Amino acid sequence: MDEMLNEFLAESAEQIEAASAQIVAFERNPADAALISSIFRLVHTIKGTCGFLGLNRLQKLTHAAESLIGQLREGAKATPAVVSAILAAVDRVKLMLAELEEAGREVEGDDSDLIELLERHVALCQGAVIEEAQAASEPAKAAVAETHEPATGEATQGKRAETIRINLDTLERIMQLVSELVLTRNQLIELTRHKDDDSLKSPLQRLSTMTSDLQDAVMRARMQPVERVFANLPRMIRDLANELNKKINLVTEGADTELDRQLIDLIRDPLTHLVRNCADHGIESPEERLRAGKPATGTVRVVAAHEAGQITIEISDDGRGLNLDRIKEKALALGLTSKPQLERMSDDEISRFIFAPGFSTAEKVTSVSGRGVGMDVVRENIQAIGGSCALTSKPGEGSRFTLKIPLTLAIAPALIVEASGQRFALPQHSVVEAVGLNGGEHKIECVQGSKILQLRDAVLPIGSLAELLNLTAPAERAGAPEPLAVIMRVGAQSFGITVDAVTDVQEIVVKPLGGSISHLSNFSGHTILGDGSVVLILDPNGVCRSLGLEQSRETAAANDEGPQSAASDKTRLVHFRAGSGVDKVLPLSSIARIETVNSSRIEYSNGMMLMHHQGRLMPIVAAAPDVAINEGDNTVFVISPYGEPFGLLVDSIVDIVEHRLDVEIGGDAPGVTGAADIGGKVVELLDIAWFFDLLHLPQERPKDRKSRLLLVDDAAFFRDMLAATLQAAGFEVVKAGSGAQALGHITRDPHFDAVLIDVDLPDGSGFELVTRLREGGARAEMIALAPYATRDIVRNAEAAGMAGAVGKFQRNQMLDLIHACIERRQVEAPESFTGVAA
Amino acid sequence: MSFEPAKISVHGAGNALEGFFSIKVGDDTFGLPVTRVQTIFRIGAVTAAPGGPPDIVGLVNLRGKIVTAVSLRRRLGLAPEPGGTADGSGSLAIGIEHRNEAFALLVDEVGDVLTLTAETAIAPPPHIGRRRAKFASGYNRVGGQILPLLNIDAVFDFAEDR
Repeated sequence: MDEMLNEFLAESAEQIEAASAQIVAFERNPADAALISSIFRLVHTIKGTCGFLGLNRLQKLTHAAESLIGQLREGAKATPAVVSAILAAVDRVKLMLAELEEAGREVEGDDSDLIELLERHVALCQGAVIEEAQAASEPAKAAVAETHEPATGEATQGKRAETIRINLDTLERIMQLVSELVLTRNQLIELTRHKDDDSLKSPLQRLSTMTSDLQDAVMRARMQPVERVFANLPRMIRDLANELNKKINLVTEGADTELDRQLIDLIRDPLTHLVRNCADHGIESPEERLRAGKPATGTVRVVAAHEAGQITIEISDDGRGLNLDRIKEKALALGLTSKPQLERMSDDEISRFIFAPGFSTAEKVTSVSGRGVGMDVVRENIQAIGGSCALTSKPGEGSRFTLKIPLTLAIAPALIVEASGQRFALPQHSVVEAVGLNGGEHKIECVQGSKILQLRDAVLPIGSLAELLNLTAPAERAGAPEPLAVIMRVGAQSFGITVDAVTDVQEIVVKPLGGSISHLSNFSGHTILGDGSVVLILDPNGVCRSLGLEQSRETAAANDEGPQSAASDKTRLVHFRAGSGVDKVLPLSSIARIETVNSSRIEYSNGMMLMHHQGRLMPIVAAAPDVAINEGDNTVFVISPYGEPFGLLVDSIVDIVEHRLDVEIGGDAPGVTGAADIGGKVVELLDIAWFFDLLHLPQERPKDRKSRLLLVDDAAFFRDMLAATLQAAGFEVVKAGSGAQALGHITRDPHFDAVLIDVDLPDGSGFELVTRLREGGARAEMIALAPYATRDIVRNAEAAGMAGAVGKFQRNQMLDLIHACIERRQVEAPESFTGVAA
Repeated sequence: MSFEPAKISVHGAGNALEGFFSIKVGDDTFGLPVTRVQTIFRIGAVTAAPGGPPDIVGLVNLRGKIVTAVSLRRRLGLAPEPGGTADGSGSLAIGIEHRNEAFALLVDEVGDVLTLTAETAIAPPPHIGRRRAKFASGYNRVGGQILPLLNIDAVFDFAEDR
């Protein structure tokens, strides 16, 4: 019996959640008969089970709710009052279920108020519905419904019968065992690494692969769609809209994005809070919106997506945006900053103040939000799980919060650093870069007793890890300065710690600290490395606090960081080794997946390396001529630039860094766009287009004279990548980094067959540039370039008299568009503009 | 090197009897209930836990599980074991689980299993110092010797040391 009750509780909790979301959806879309039938079925199932288990109170209430829903199904109008009544009943049922779970039996109580309300609505509906719906026929109908509904219910259950419920503890236990298995395997590998015993190697290899697969499978079992968090948002938005007299439309996307269940629970509160904030502070009243020329109904969007091993959740609204003036005032009043500092800050930096503790600019305190607790807690919670929270806002257009969340808490990439002979793991998510201090270029200075590191334009607080942790240095090293600074970022705060060495980068299995040392704020857990030794995992937040960097000083740091991020042309780069030359980089955005591929999965055919990837054969190229397949695991980047994936075989990944990329074209080696400098180290940026062409060699190339293109893009990376792509397609390309440069090219020689313009240029929009270039004498067709050719961009391009717009990564569309432009130009006016040149 | 207590706890066959390991640190001998001992092993490398209670030597990998190593000598305020390593690595340790945390209690020696009954229990000697007294949960007289029983709760409770 108990077991049945538990089963019932678990199932009902889900059903009731689903029902309330569906009721809100139905209110908006009353024509959806399938929806109301589904709601009816959900409530009906609960009612039926309650009757079976002898839960009388629940049964009575659900029966009343069911009758009213039945009326809706018969065609009665879903007025807000009716929906509110049903939602009230749903809430009561939820409450009763919670009590039931706690007490193990139904708690006494009186629901006559609600039942009466529901019955009154039923009566009203019956009156309002067509006269034929006489009371007499009602029981008969209900009876019919009761005999039919369970059948359909079973049918739908039959479809998803391939799942079973597992006790959470069981799953956790499996996860724990797998973690330990991973550690044991790592130890075994470490032990046999230096031994040439082939009889051991192959079974160990198999064990290794299977362990990885098992780990993957268990992780996947713990994954749940974020839908679980999204499900209660429609209801919340509806209630908020009613309470605040606003019209709000909620759009959710990517509800099927999966996340570790532990994380799902942890992001629920922050996410709910942000959505609430958007609805309360962001969206204006309908009148205000109409006055501002916006539709009366505001939109709150919640979009979840996978991105490079983490989940991004964006919460945005099209409301009024942040009131920067109010924030400035408040920041000054709270003493968080000074006037001169404020003047130097960008809008984004000013917006960041809302994450300061006790910061609330709501002029009226509503019951919804605006009590000044919140944003700081939101960010703290997100950071606590290794995530980040960013914010952008445009006055009058709305604001957007971007949460980045790791896929799981249990396993994380970490740097292994050494200080005073002891090793520590440092979670990679908070590491920005490592800087060598011996070169003399960067050195630590003491300013008023505090250590400071000047790094490019930034002034960073820095501390010695050994001093911070009171480690005693081994005698032979005492007094020697630590040669390496690891720069970290926690929220808006950047800081550095000095260490003796970074010895390794490893995926670590995070284990919580035992109770006797869990109070140590510098550490978030511990783990066992491949060699069997135990290391403590540093907690960046704790280290930040230990350095004496409190939240209130955050503004100063945000300011230091300012010039760096203001000029940000930063790209997330994968830093890796391939071949014997210098290290290579590729923008993370260009890599669809990073796969570890066993050598047995790579086959040769026709002189080409191939592997099975998502059910298809995918070609693989080596990233450098001297990269060869290793026995065992190989690292392959799956790159899918034009919708056709191919693999790039590399030796090993060094790091993922966020860095400004200034390419100085070298161009001597094939497949290399050029050399760049990241953090004082020379790396080569690979040219994806070259590798792509290598695989698709016999390309159609225009045989006639080379058409000449002008390419305007301020980002060096895109300029070079696109130029390479276009040149490979047989065009002559002239590059310009700004509107002014482009105009210079046009006035010198207007003979271009087409002009490609990035819509977002530092000196004005690309659309404005069209007019300027035309005035300057350009006669060629113009094409707008954007990261993605959204509908807005296409429309704007059309309005500006451009031939079209295309996404920067859409190579085929881009080439088609260019060819179309050139053809049209040749047909219309063959070479007749010579007289125009200045 | 390590052995499981299950093999030897058969000693206590009678009803009121309970088996106790006699463990030695310095000149002191304590009794430790056999049922609380999960394993006895020699620890490998020790990872210090900077900032933690001083009596915690550090963290140790016990067959893939991380356990907190506590020095009984330090706990009792005794001098380090002559000939022992500075960080405690290589010491003899007793695996004990306490309040869901796995501990390794570092001792000098583990001796025989003694069988104690209600008759061997005696009243605590009145003149024992407070700092030491809290680590004993009872006293027994066995074979003409006084054997204090180790108070495991007190040994692994570091609330006072923070």
